Amino acid sequence: MSASTAGAAPARTRKRTVGSRHHLGIVAGAATLLAAAPLISLYEGLGWLVDTAFAVALIVAAATGVRALRGPVGLQVLAMLGGLLLALTWLFRSGEELLFLPTTGTLAHFGVLLDEVPDVVANQSLPVGGSEGLQLLTVIGVGLIAIMVDLAAVGMRRPALAGLPMLAIYSVPVAVHQGSVPWWTFMIGVTGYLWLISADNLDRVRRFGRRFTGDGRDVEHWEPSPLAAAGRRLTVIGLLIAVALPLVVPGMTSGLVDRFGNGLGGSGEGGVGGSPTAVNLFAALDGLLNRETTEELVRFTTTDSDPFYLRIGVADEITERGFDHRAPDGGPVNEGLPGPSQPRPGVTYHPHQAEVEILQWDMNRLPVFADPTAIEGLDDRWRYDPDQQVVFSDDTGAAGLEYRFEYQRPQFDPAALRRARPLPDDHPIQREFAEVLPEERVSDQVDELIEGIASPYEQVLAILAFFSRENGFSYSLDTGSEVTGSAIVDFLFENRAGFCVQYAAGMAWMVREAGLPARVAVGFSRGSQRTNNTYLLTNHNLHAWTEVYFDRYGWVPFDATPSSSIAGSIAPAWAPDPNAPPDPNASGGPSGPGTPGENPDFPDDNVFEGLAPEPGGGGGGPTETQAVWQSWLLAGAAVLLVLLILPALRRAQLRRQRLPRRAASPATGPRATAAPGVVTSGEPAAAARHRAHAVWDELLDTLIDFRVPLNPAETPRVTAERVIRECRLDPPADTDTTATARAPGGAGMRLLGRAEERARYAPQPLPATGLVSAVRVIRRALAGQSTRRVRLQAALLPPSTLLHWRTVTGDAVARAAVRATRLGDALARISPRRLLHSTR
Amino acid sequence: MTVPRSREELGGAVPLDEFRTVTDAIVGNIEQVIEGKTATVRLALAVLLAEGHLLIEDVPGVGKTKLAKSLARSIDCTVRRIQFTPDLLPSDVTGVSVYNQDNHDFEFKPGAIFANLVVGDEINRASPKTQSALLECMEERQVTVDGTTYELQVPFMVVATQNPIEMEGTYPLPEAQRDRFSARIGMGYPDAGSELTMLDVHGAEDPLYALAPVSDAEKVRRLIATVREIHVADEIKQYAVDLVTATREAPDLRLGASPRATLHLLRTARAIAALDGRDHVLPDDLQSLAVPVLAHRVISTADAQLSRRTTDAIIADIVHRLPLPTERTRPSQPRPSTDRSQYQPRRG
Repeated sequence: MSASTAGAAPARTRKRTVGSRHHLGIVAGAATLLAAAPLISLYEGLGWLVDTAFAVALIVAAATGVRALRGPVGLQVLAMLGGLLLALTWLFRSGEELLFLPTTGTLAHFGVLLDEVPDVVANQSLPVGGSEGLQLLTVIGVGLIAIMVDLAAVGMRRPALAGLPMLAIYSVPVAVHQGSVPWWTFMIGVTGYLWLISADNLDRVRRFGRRFTGDGRDVEHWEPSPLAAAGRRLTVIGLLIAVALPLVVPGMTSGLVDRFGNGLGGSGEGGVGGSPTAVNLFAALDGLLNRETTEELVRFTTTDSDPFYLRIGVADEITERGFDHRAPDGGPVNEGLPGPSQPRPGVTYHPHQAEVEILQWDMNRLPVFADPTAIEGLDDRWRYDPDQQVVFSDDTGAAGLEYRFEYQRPQFDPAALRRARPLPDDHPIQREFAEVLPEERVSDQVDELIEGIASPYEQVLAILAFFSRENGFSYSLDTGSEVTGSAIVDFLFENRAGFCVQYAAGMAWMVREAGLPARVAVGFSRGSQRTNNTYLLTNHNLHAWTEVYFDRYGWVPFDATPSSSIAGSIAPAWAPDPNAPPDPNASGGPSGPGTPGENPDFPDDNVFEGLAPEPGGGGGGPTETQAVWQSWLLAGAAVLLVLLILPALRRAQLRRQRLPRRAASPATGPRATAAPGVVTSGEPAAAARHRAHAVWDELLDTLIDFRVPLNPAETPRVTAERVIRECRLDPPADTDTTATARAPGGAGMRLLGRAEERARYAPQPLPATGLVSAVRVIRRALAGQSTRRVRLQAALLPPSTLLHWRTVTGDAVARAAVRATRLGDALARISPRRLLHSTR
Repeated sequence: MTVPRSREELGGAVPLDEFRTVTDAIVGNIEQVIEGKTATVRLALAVLLAEGHLLIEDVPGVGKTKLAKSLARSIDCTVRRIQFTPDLLPSDVTGVSVYNQDNHDFEFKPGAIFANLVVGDEINRASPKTQSALLECMEERQVTVDGTTYELQVPFMVVATQNPIEMEGTYPLPEAQRDRFSARIGMGYPDAGSELTMLDVHGAEDPLYALAPVSDAEKVRRLIATVREIHVADEIKQYAVDLVTATREAPDLRLGASPRATLHLLRTARAIAALDGRDHVLPDDLQSLAVPVLAHRVISTADAQLSRRTTDAIIADIVHRLPLPTERTRPSQPRPSTDRSQYQPRRG
């Protein structure tokens, strides 16, 4: 071989290595962009993606450049940060740049942009668009993650680690917009991750040289091989299972609550309901309720000082899935609404006007109060269903509408309601709204509740009182686990935890079980943001309650949900809060207004803005959730802390065991200076041996802690001499070496070596004096010579303890492997296949 | 004549201090002749006190025979020298029965082997037939001629020399013969200072002739009894077994050390410990003795020979790598890290 070819081969290898790193860097950047795909569901348009791609491209270019110049990893990171800054400067110009270079003005501009982000997050609905600050934040976030991915995949050659930052991107839309992140965006991210890992593997194989296929050709590019194909198949199957499993298993989504939840819990596909005709009302509502962010939906002003709930829909049809809504039917609102109801004994009607401004509500329903008498400001596409008392449209949305309407606020007299009689069986309402699916435990319970009560109203009150805290009902966004297979039974008897939807549907079900017509109404509570008579309603104020039909009085609302858990809840005089303390005012003057159920302790709705991720969180989340989160967080932090300091604790405990305090005192006594090698017979030999072993173990661990290499093939004597030599424990020649106390390191080390040697091999061990102080002195000497980092690690994460744990684990695994192999062999012996093989 | 084997027959142990005095005197005496080779001299003495035999292997002219003879002279005991030649017969070594016409009977004429110290010079020049005559003497310390067994004296030690360079007309020692030597040592060239001293001392007359014995057979027997009483901890025994086992498992060795090697290793280690004034053996002793005691018994593989790895280097490598047994790895406990048989791939 000539000299020139000999020199060319390493050069080619080097070139290939550098080239492969460039390739891997580009793949890392592309994979980061693919991993950012789930963010698509958060933004309007793809402008952010262009910006992000530009920033990632600059980052990759910067890293590639530094790698071409063989810069160290630290320099690569700095270059990538610089690339990100340049990209940000270019994308978000303030006009104060020095050509392309950022100035303090640029940074101030970034600050201003970022300042607007909290407002945007709080006020805008998803998908958001047009916010430069949010875009800046996105580019910064994805850019930093691109740097981390590059660092992990190329700098550290651990591409599997890059999955963590990539997963962090995915967690953002999932946390903000739960249930509305399309699955395929996740698949795109996964594809990017797999691409990165396979690119790295291919690169590793290439580093050994060229791949050899077995038939004499070497392969520069990808080529199928049977083994790899099996691996790929496994990967694909695993991925499919991972994606499909959560979709199939009901317990991993919202589960049975949805089936019971009157159709409120839908698939959540509707989001905010773009096309008004095509969207399922309850699915759309669910999309709104799912949001963690708070969106202002409706603002209304009313002349009523104590208005009841705004209605938007009714669920009155029993299906297999629970209560479901049916399509409303009625004429245009402009062709006249039912006139004012005639005054009846027991009901007083108070006429009021209301103005409603639709903010971010784009559904085919309009919120109105019950019994509207006239509506202005709507065109003929809006119609009114007098039965359901809802305003709806088949072909338009509510966005941006402002309308006024007049309505009658009915006040029911409990005494009059008490006199109401049951509807006859052939009454259409009785036939239509009193049927229920058979459920034995529910009917038993209802029978027990209404036993001996004749008045339908009293029966309803008895059922309402059933939903009290005394009976174990509690408000919770977590509806508990499935127990019986029937969601209604689970809620009423097993878990007794739920939110407005469960309470409303549960009560309606029981009332129907009692033979009375009932339905679930859906709308808004009054919320917590009130200015004079103007109310601002958000997606968290969506609410559900029960309505019961009484002969001659019509649909009368009852709210079984605990009022303390709902902002703007109302417990009217005829439907007292089952959890409220006895209140003389609430128990019923005929004309007394409904008692507002607002709890003075109930904090502002905004407190819960980040904490109501579950569907149907009408009126915000309960305070318990926050406390639970905090305690989990604290517990997690505590566990983490304990795990982190566990090695140090174990090391300290070992040291205490091996170096007892009382043994330290005689070290300074006269015996400590006695000539080493003197054998005592006074001290029990076994104890002295044990002490010497313990001290020697402690010394070895100390050496490991301070990164002094140990050789298990060395004898104690050799170890001692080597450590003295390597760690310069002997004092300089001009020091007085006769005094043990002043020449501690070397003399102590030799003493320890000799003590251990004699303890192990001699019939009589050395006396155990001076050993403890010697090991302490050596520890101090080693600490004095070590760097701060080594000292810190020796104190906080002692390598000796970690090594010991690793060894123990490794031995256990080895033993398990041996056992498994033996078992496999034993099984193979009884396998009939063996006979087949042996006959061949 | 019975050979004194028990402690009483040997004369009883001496205190370690006295032991050191005597042995230091012997070593010092020999060093009058062999300058700058203290370790080699001590090892030779240790082999004598461990009741072993010594093989000195080195190039000509480094003092192999001189060491053997000075050791023999330092102890006031019977010494015989056999110059091994190709025509040497076994009966020259062991002795022969001749017909005595006076009493009309065969009479045994003892050979050169009947002495306390037998110096076999150039042992590999004799035919294997003659070399084999040493087998029984060295291991069993007895000679059997014409069905009669004659026991040898105590101490009895064969110090053989051989030249590793000149191989023409020589018969390499068979494996069984080599295994009977406790240790093989090389003399090595003296350093410059020692060689200068040697010129001064050896220039006028050979100091060997002026060498006076500083001990006698009786004393040496008591020293041997002392060596036998040196304490050996269980861990040391385990380490000896580990070392020998490692030679049997070493991939570079075709033939490992024998159980006899284990015995020799431990015996010599006792003697070395006693020479150091210790009443117990240390693993350091075994480590220092591993090469002299084990290396001449093992046979390296063809690969190792091709890559010019000597058995000395292989043994030293094993010593460097083999972990010391501690109380955590007692022989009764299984040691998964060294149990390689469990991880062998299944076949079938």
